[in-house]
Amino acid sequence: MKRKLKLYLPFINAGMQETATYRVNFIFFLLGEALACAVSFFIWNAVYNSGGENEINGFSFEQMVVYIVLMFLTNGIIGSDASWSVGEEVRDGTIAMRLLKPVSYNSTFLFQEFGNKVLTEIVLMVPLLVIAELVRWLISGAVAFSVVRFLIYLLSCTAAYLINFFFNICFGFLAFVIKYLWGANMMKNCVVGFLSGAIIPLAFLPAGLRTVILLLPFASLNYTPVMIYMGMYSGIETLWYLGLQLFWMIAFWGLSKLLWRLSVKRLCVQGG
Amino acid sequence: MRKIRRAMRIHRIFIAQELKRMMEYKGDFIVGVIGFLLVQCSNLLFLWLIFANIPSLMGWSLDQIVFIYGFSLIPKGIDHLFFDNLWNIGYFIVRKGDFDKYLTRPVNTLFHVLVEKIQIDALGELIVGIALVCVTLPRLGVEWSVLKVLLAVLVIPFATLIYTGIKTVTASVAFWTKRSGSVIYMFYMVNDFAKYPAAIYNEVVKNIITYIVPFALTAYYPALYILTGENPLFNIGMTVLAAAVLMTLGVIVWHRGIRAYESAGS
Amino acid sequence: MIKVENLRKEFKKTIKEPGLKGSFKSLFRPKSEKVVAVNDISFDVPKGEILGFIGPNGAGKSTVIKMLTGILTPTSGRCTINGKNPTVNRKSYVKEIGVVFGQRTQLWWDLPLRETYGVLKEIYEVPEDSFKKRMAFLNEVLELDSFITSPVRTLSLGQRMRADIAASMLHSPKVLFLDEPTIGLDVVVKDNIRSAIEQINRQEQTTVILTTHDLADIELLSDRIVMIDKGSKVFDGSVSSLKDKYGQIREMKFETDSKNASERLGYAEKFGFGEDDLSVEQEGALVTVRFNSSVAPISDVLGYTLQRVNVSDINVKDADIEEIIRRLYKQGVEE
Repeated sequence: MKRKLKLYLPFINAGMQETATYRVNFIFFLLGEALACAVSFFIWNAVYNSGGENEINGFSFEQMVVYIVLMFLTNGIIGSDASWSVGEEVRDGTIAMRLLKPVSYNSTFLFQEFGNKVLTEIVLMVPLLVIAELVRWLISGAVAFSVVRFLIYLLSCTAAYLINFFFNICFGFLAFVIKYLWGANMMKNCVVGFLSGAIIPLAFLPAGLRTVILLLPFASLNYTPVMIYMGMYSGIETLWYLGLQLFWMIAFWGLSKLLWRLSVKRLCVQGG
Repeated sequence: MRKIRRAMRIHRIFIAQELKRMMEYKGDFIVGVIGFLLVQCSNLLFLWLIFANIPSLMGWSLDQIVFIYGFSLIPKGIDHLFFDNLWNIGYFIVRKGDFDKYLTRPVNTLFHVLVEKIQIDALGELIVGIALVCVTLPRLGVEWSVLKVLLAVLVIPFATLIYTGIKTVTASVAFWTKRSGSVIYMFYMVNDFAKYPAAIYNEVVKNIITYIVPFALTAYYPALYILTGENPLFNIGMTVLAAAVLMTLGVIVWHRGIRAYESAGS
Repeated sequence: MIKVENLRKEFKKTIKEPGLKGSFKSLFRPKSEKVVAVNDISFDVPKGEILGFIGPNGAGKSTVIKMLTGILTPTSGRCTINGKNPTVNRKSYVKEIGVVFGQRTQLWWDLPLRETYGVLKEIYEVPEDSFKKRMAFLNEVLELDSFITSPVRTLSLGQRMRADIAASMLHSPKVLFLDEPTIGLDVVVKDNIRSAIEQINRQEQTTVILTTHDLADIELLSDRIVMIDKGSKVFDGSVSSLKDKYGQIREMKFETDSKNASERLGYAEKFGFGEDDLSVEQEGALVTVRFNSSVAPISDVLGYTLQRVNVSDINVKDADIEEIIRRLYKQGVEE
């Protein structure tokens, strides 16, 4: 294990260097993302001011605010650019080079991205959680932070990241078919964004549709960890959704392996 | 005059080249257009789901909000369609040193960069925008006058230039920092605020999107004029003024940036 | 024709400390320092000359070329072509020049080659009839006919280079800048490109400024060499004067059965060669000795060698320009 980690250390390091080199961009990118968050805040603020009700679909206003901030945070934590990396390599053919390296294909991406993330996470996580809790406290006057839930949230985020990562690897292989990655990614992000509750809590969807969407892998991405953190799930429900995450994680891991095999075959047939 | 004719000629030729290029990759463009169409649809779905719970959003009806939303997509889509290449300046062209090419040609560099590419994906936004305006307008009971029609059409190119100006200023940052894609992204994201009535924001945000990164001038204020007929001097005039200021600023920063440009490689 | 006066360029360079801590530090507090890439360079180029512009990697070659082509703005100093200055009026300046960067293309990647020329014709405002004449001339010199209807991305490297040179010549520039025009090409294609450059230069009196790593380009094409190192000009003169100045190096090759010939021969002690005056390499039976013939005459070294070891097959020759320049790059130039 230790030896293995050493093997991947350069990839982690490379990822961190990359982020640090373009620090200004990195900070501005975060600010850009935060703006979308702010827009949501104002819209929900207007919604709760117009409805006259304190609770809509089980969400009070302060819960909605926490939800928005957490969605933003969770998105940052579990986000993955693997579909880009894989797609680019498929398109320009460098994917063949990966065959030559004595490290696992998925893992190289995983660790490089991990390095990229460590910095992001540290900069992002602490202040945002503080903000979320502060807002909650300001609005409701109660402190609702729970260490246990926070730890389960982290666990759930890890699972969500891995699902997202393997899903993106699979999606990247689409580059064998669709040459226009930007457009394809756009479509993917949009569909995933909606189905994972990033745009509106899934609780706002009609009941029948909601049941189906909650079972899909996308709900396992952002929605599950956020709902756990917010204490919206009971103990049994939490277990059930964590199990579901595990299931999707294994499913996409398997699928990515399978697709990698197929693409190796394809590369060999094409002669690299 | 001769200069303008030449510029238009070059623009036409670049567009023709782009269309030829597109013919080589038809599938991609369909993917892109559908992608942007989907994004708009998901936002509309969001609005619709919200309105299932409330009768109006701080006094604004669903139709009114959708109208503003649709109107905001028109200048955004036009800028996206014609002047999308600025993103590439921020992300790749400067960093990889490919900007060299523009500097060795006897054409204004900013003009060259702007007109070099067209981005068909933008049709996704443009189509949705026009459709939404067409669907909601008749239901809003707007009183029309010749002046209003004239101003409503006239304001669109200026609203477009607000987008282009902001992108030009932020893209130019790349000349100093090598990469400014995220800077463009950050400012561009402010346009998210512009899709909704500025009335729902607090004073600080409202002032920012009116006077500093004035995306509210690309949709909310012109739409307000169309809906109410009030205060054309501010609602339309500010848009024209902001477009002029931002484009001037863009040109200045751009040309300063070129002097700081360091190319790439040894 | 071209006048370069005290051209200077400084860059600001960010220093990144190594490792994890360094990355984190530079995320918040980047440090930078000033680097002088080009240090007050001056030279003139008369009309019709082919100037070889050389120097080791990182010497500032590209920076100079980029200032001469209007891409970079000099920190101080200036360059003019026929009195035109790129920092004053870039557009009229670049109409006078053609630029080819070997590692980059200005062709429209996805479209047939012909389309590129159509667009450039508009950009450079070439009238229809001179465009036709021009294409006929370039076609003849660069043999574009066989691939002018193919998409650029399908061209071979050699074809692409020919196409790029044609693209840069379309508006009949008075000066042609070629940066690594033969990079990555095989020998036959290199010859093709060289003769095309020569023909363009002869027929149109086009001034050519050439940078290259392949010194054969310089030897075959250039009338004159300007060499820079660490941002400063270190040599300016004809190819033959370079040989005269630094050409006392001779190369002697011989085969011997002796395994440690270099120790047995001990040239340095015998003739008093300094460290820079001598190099001895042995590869199997073949020994290569490079020495400074102004320290010890060729006949002495030759006689001494034959005397000390068993020699089969020996020859001595003038160092070629490549050898001279290699030595100069290695040791730096002392005036």
